[in-house]
Amino acid sequence: MARVVTDSSALILLARCTLLEIACEIFEISAPSAVVSEVASETMVKKYPDAALISDLISKGSIRVQDPGATKTNLSISLHHGEKQALLLALNMEGSIFATDDGKAIKAARFLRVPFIITPRLLVELFRLQKISFKKGRGSLEKLGKIGRYSPEIIADALVSLMEEKNGKTNNHKNT
Amino acid sequence: MARPTTIRIPEELLNEIDQLVRELSLDRSAYLREVLRKGFEIDKQDRLLEKYIRGELSQMEVCSQMNWDPWEFSDQLKARNMHLNVDLEDWLDASEIG
Repeated sequence: MARVVTDSSALILLARCTLLEIACEIFEISAPSAVVSEVASETMVKKYPDAALISDLISKGSIRVQDPGATKTNLSISLHHGEKQALLLALNMEGSIFATDDGKAIKAARFLRVPFIITPRLLVELFRLQKISFKKGRGSLEKLGKIGRYSPEIIADALVSLMEEKNGKTNNHKNT
Repeated sequence: MARPTTIRIPEELLNEIDQLVRELSLDRSAYLREVLRKGFEIDKQDRLLEKYIRGELSQMEVCSQMNWDPWEFSDQLKARNMHLNVDLEDWLDASEIG
């Protein structure tokens, strides 16, 4: 099972485009306590239904709350506490991928050579792994554009990837 | 506690302000304080979001400085017709899950 460490931005977008629950079934999702405080505090849970969903998934153990512990890694790029903790957790957790939808956090991940993933790519991966339908994938992509404020270029490219995966699957079925 | 400060304002603008203050029977100092507060908030938001778009600030750094919770960040972008600061290169470089 692939290990994914998320920061607040990815956790929020996965919840908002209705992919978080399925992602929790397929991947081992972890988030540091600082991220949990940012997105699923008591106040957030009262205010946002998706925050309540995250809190519920944490209670069930579907999202693991883990902190990176002491590290000597010197991060020259400044980040907010939760983003930094998530990145360091991904760095310390062997074989994990850092999930973020923040450009500056991605820069920091590149600097530390931590593999990263963004929510549209995670969506395409879920489709590739046959965990969501094409219709569901397209619907969630639309939400990533409208609600998540992803740029139209990325949404269009992600849709092309989704269609290529779909056509690939169709062709594979034809060939067998 | 309010502290005095001095700024130079173009005469035309000052005349307009004085006219409005008279017409609406406002307290001139209180009105100028309110205008300054409102303008400052808007300008601060715009400047921080510009830094975010350039990748100089992260979402949570902006939220922290603006006292926004992370759930309202995308709404703030939407209100200004702005997008996330993730670019096409990030999308292309993003890992696949083996």
